[in-house]
Amino acid sequence: MKKTKLSTPVRYTINTVLTIILWALLTLFVSSSGLKGEYYRGILITIGINIILATSLNVVCGYLGQLPLGHAGFMAVGAYAGAIFMKSTPAATLLRAGNHAAVIPYIIIAVLVSAVVAGIFGLLIGIPALRLKGDYLAIITLGFGEIIRVVLTNIDSVLGFKFTYGASGLARIPKFTSLNVIFVFTVICLFLIHVFMKSRHGRAVLSIRDNEIAAESVGINTTFYKTAAFVFSAMLAGVAGCLYAGYIGSLYPSTFKFMKSIEILVMVVLGGMGSMLGSVISAIVLTALPELLRSFSDYRMVVYSLALVLMMLFRPKGLMGTYDFSMGNTIEKIINRIRGGRSKADTAETGKEVKG
Amino acid sequence: MTFSLLIAQLINGLQTGSVYALVALGYSMVYGIIKLLNFAHGDIIMVGAYMVYYAIASFALPPVVAIILAIGVSTLLGVTVEKVAYTPLRSAPRLSLLITAIGVSFLLENGAQLVFGADQKSMDPLITGSVMFGRVNVSYTAIVTIVVSLIIMVLLWFVVNKTKAGKAMRAVSEDMGAAQLMGISLNRTISMTFAIGSALAGIGSVLYLAAYTQASPTMGSMLGIKAFVAAVLGGIGSIPGAMIGGFTIGVLEALVAAAGFSMWKDAAVFLVLIIVLLFKPTGFLGKKMQEKV
Amino acid sequence: MSNVLKCEHLRVVFGGLAAVSDFNIEVNENEIVGLIGPNGAGKTTVFNLLTGVYTPTSGVITLCEKDLAGMSTVARNHEGIARTFQNIRLFKDMSVLDNVMNSFNTRMHYSIAESLLRLPRYWKEEKAAKKRAFDLLQVFNMQDMADEIAGNLPYGSQRRLEIIRALATNPKLLLLDEPAAGMNPAETENLMETIGKIRDSFHIAILLIEHDMSLVMGICEKITVLNFGEVIAQGTPEEIQKNPVVIEAYLGKRRD
Repeated sequence: MKKTKLSTPVRYTINTVLTIILWALLTLFVSSSGLKGEYYRGILITIGINIILATSLNVVCGYLGQLPLGHAGFMAVGAYAGAIFMKSTPAATLLRAGNHAAVIPYIIIAVLVSAVVAGIFGLLIGIPALRLKGDYLAIITLGFGEIIRVVLTNIDSVLGFKFTYGASGLARIPKFTSLNVIFVFTVICLFLIHVFMKSRHGRAVLSIRDNEIAAESVGINTTFYKTAAFVFSAMLAGVAGCLYAGYIGSLYPSTFKFMKSIEILVMVVLGGMGSMLGSVISAIVLTALPELLRSFSDYRMVVYSLALVLMMLFRPKGLMGTYDFSMGNTIEKIINRIRGGRSKADTAETGKEVKG
Repeated sequence: MTFSLLIAQLINGLQTGSVYALVALGYSMVYGIIKLLNFAHGDIIMVGAYMVYYAIASFALPPVVAIILAIGVSTLLGVTVEKVAYTPLRSAPRLSLLITAIGVSFLLENGAQLVFGADQKSMDPLITGSVMFGRVNVSYTAIVTIVVSLIIMVLLWFVVNKTKAGKAMRAVSEDMGAAQLMGISLNRTISMTFAIGSALAGIGSVLYLAAYTQASPTMGSMLGIKAFVAAVLGGIGSIPGAMIGGFTIGVLEALVAAAGFSMWKDAAVFLVLIIVLLFKPTGFLGKKMQEKV
Repeated sequence: MSNVLKCEHLRVVFGGLAAVSDFNIEVNENEIVGLIGPNGAGKTTVFNLLTGVYTPTSGVITLCEKDLAGMSTVARNHEGIARTFQNIRLFKDMSVLDNVMNSFNTRMHYSIAESLLRLPRYWKEEKAAKKRAFDLLQVFNMQDMADEIAGNLPYGSQRRLEIIRALATNPKLLLLDEPAAGMNPAETENLMETIGKIRDSFHIAILLIEHDMSLVMGICEKITVLNFGEVIAQGTPEEIQKNPVVIEAYLGKRRD
């Protein structure tokens, strides 16, 4: 029996159509929920931000196999960069006037600015940090994350003018993160991570995780790829930060404490380090669950940490292991199963079809 | 800044530094033996501090009893954590073990928030009074803290280098497999390392409380991280290293604060850590390790 | 015949102890050379010196007349040295195909931006690389396993995949570190054929460390014997088998 293989354009079309359907469903859901719609919109936006944070951390944590503990620092840098940029534009006036279309270019620039600034920080931190491994990398990134927070808190006194507004907070940021905006950028981020990993660069990153010495022996420039993955991850965290700033409207350095980095890490670990689907699912569940079960919120962090320990003890590979979902492959499997069912008499045929 | 003020700040630094050093010893010993950055170590101090607080403020027990209680509970907690969370993962990848340690740390912190409440608990100072050395005013707390930690470090050095148990600990940290073949009980030795480390954390918690007179669920987190920095700075796995590292961090913080940058204290500590890790990753007194190909 | 690898007076000292001293060897194109010696003789250390894992205390390593001093493992691979490891080091969570395709990395040229935007060069190079990887797998009868996760392969196939992965980097010199370790006689027989096939169809020089004497004597044209870090004999299999020094230091011991 010849196995059905979907061609690349078909796969892309299927995924695009499904994405549009998902968007339509979410929009319909929010707009038909009446008064509660606003509340659901908020949860959905937070889910989107957390998906970007978790999947971007997964690049370094799951795919590269390192454990950075300063992801919140990159989110913070992106948030402040995007917020300060947006405040300098007429976006607020335009939004107040209801002219959402005119804000789009500013949003795109703000997201790019955040990504670039966070990427630069990622490079500055990654180059020294990635010379170390394991616990040392964890502690050095933790240190950098804390330094970023201390700097954001105190930089104004050094500069002599108001820049981040320190602990009192950067307020009146234009609230540009709508459901559409978050949806588009979440999809873009997921797509970028996917295509990065499915390339020679992604393979190189994975090979470093699996065996760094062997990767060097086949000519992989490990320093370059470690830094590239780290910077890529930081850039996406910056995007998440920017969208967060545009949702919440005011920023405080204390939001981006070590605790925030751990929260993101929990999402990645529970989902399964190295599985994008796992990160997405656990970002959704861990954001929605405490919201839907309000009385649970006191116990949230206790449950998180308990879940982390139990997961390591009983299922160290996380919910999904390193399994990564592919719509195309799933459809292929379904088609092949149906056809396999029809031609069951044909069992003599065992030869595997080579994929080309 | 006058000279006497500088001396006063230095003594302050040495006082905080000795607490860091005691805690750093726990990190260093555990890391030396199972190569684990025990994130939960700092939170054991927090639990110890609450024990002292409740024993004295709520049950009006004599301080000596409170101190023994704090050390006892810390030790028990440390060993329990090791048995429940770390032992099953002894052959797991290091990353899993590290994540578990982070999980335990947050479990203790958030558990404490539920049990003890999120607010700070303040109590009367354990030791009062001070003495003048020339024109420098030194509190008894500072003297007791520094002296106690110096005595403990000498004791610890003696235990590790001169006793049979210490020899077992050194053997296990050198080569776990070989030590086992020589008839050393791995479980017992590792538990003992955790017990000693946690007992030191218990003493640290008392000294911390003597200096700052307050306990909060998150107090262990930053204290723990800084103590770890101290351990790395001194060279992880080395007892005198932990001591030197602790004092260095304590004095550094005091000097940065004295120069009028107290808001930048944490950043300065981490900056020093980063510089040290980059130029001498093994710290002042550490040994070099390389993966076998 | 030009020599591919040449080592002159190679010496490395660890903590005052010479792990390898005055090591000389020449490996020519289309030649299989065996490196044997008792455990701890310094054989793997020689491989680590050749691949740049260790820096020699003194001595010269040249590959096709180019001095390799100061080059990293990565740079030496780009120059044409590929290796396998004594304890298999596959990319065990990646597919067999990806294990091989990863070796083409340095000879593919599309940038990160091109991969993110899926520009034409990405598709072209990926397609070519995939085909090349399949061809290579086919040579060793592993094309059916292309989609398997490398870590799930049986032991013999893992060893074979490691060799394919090394070959995929297009080396001039292939270093095999105990390729027959843990194999049964039938598998070893198979491996000997494979190694012969590599030499014949890829025209490269092969240097191999091996304890299995039937393999070494069967396929190597020249043999170098190491003991305590020093070369005690060099020659053809027949010469080595007759050499009294070798028999005393090595073969003799194995017989009792």
